[in-house]
Amino acid sequence: MSTTNRDEPLPLGLSPSRGQEAPVGDREPDDWVTALATPGAAQHDAMRRLHALMVRAAAHQVWRMRASLPEPSRDAVNDLANQAADEAMTALLGKLHTFQGRSRFTTWAFKFAILQAATEVRRLQWQHRELELRDLDVAAPVHDGPEHAAEAQDLGTALARAMRSVLTPHQRRVAVALLVDGVPIDVLAERLGSTRGALYKTVHDVRVRLRAELVATGHLTAVTPPSNSAGTS
Amino acid sequence: MSTNAPQPDRALTPTAIDALTMDTTPWLSCEDCFERMDIYVEALARDGSHDDAAMAAHLRGCPACAEEADSLVDLVTGSGT
Repeated sequence: MSTTNRDEPLPLGLSPSRGQEAPVGDREPDDWVTALATPGAAQHDAMRRLHALMVRAAAHQVWRMRASLPEPSRDAVNDLANQAADEAMTALLGKLHTFQGRSRFTTWAFKFAILQAATEVRRLQWQHRELELRDLDVAAPVHDGPEHAAEAQDLGTALARAMRSVLTPHQRRVAVALLVDGVPIDVLAERLGSTRGALYKTVHDVRVRLRAELVATGHLTAVTPPSNSAGTS
Repeated sequence: MSTNAPQPDRALTPTAIDALTMDTTPWLSCEDCFERMDIYVEALARDGSHDDAAMAAHLRGCPACAEEADSLVDLVTGSGT
């Protein structure tokens, strides 16, 4: 799993490369979509501004995850951010027609850079690591402390049994890789020739099946958590 | 990618048990999470109690999307730059 560093702000030097900074002192486009889609000087200026925004967002993301990088130097972060920004900008421009104005354009743009940068950091983190796609080989769970040992043992044993009885071998292998061994979903998707979305669907189905089985055996109660209890992490 | 033989010294940790049994309903795909993320993050930045059950469930169950949403919150609110 990737490690994030949320406590330390992005150094001022990590930003668009020289020559890529957005112009200072004049306004960004009121209508980004029109500016980016209409050939001319305004388009050139909008492209330059957008690229600067993408580099900023990508650098922000790479900096958060720098502990996961093989070489977390400032130069490496900067290079990776610029590369991710380039690729994210291509992805954004391909989806420009889908922007509906339901958020600020800059927020919409940032998410492309963040996704690209985070995916690239995870890929680099795992690039030299062999990924073991294994089936369940668990007999009994480990536990944090004696007060929860009996309960965890009981639930863990029932869970292992449920995994063998209600999941397919493919579902078990994906679940073990992502939820037990902590392989990042993008990395597993790349190695399997799949997508993040397809693997998350598998994981969701796994959870639904396991919960139904554990409710049926009395190890879980069918409780829906409060809908507003979660934040963003 | 290898398909090694089972290694019986491994065990389910409490973290793994929680991850395997997490309730991630109502369903939302990673693609739809990405589609909504900017709108969701701006709503959260305006109102920390903003409620989107499907987004919240997805972000509980998908660490990659959760990290990216959290990062976008930081970027939009200026707390991480």
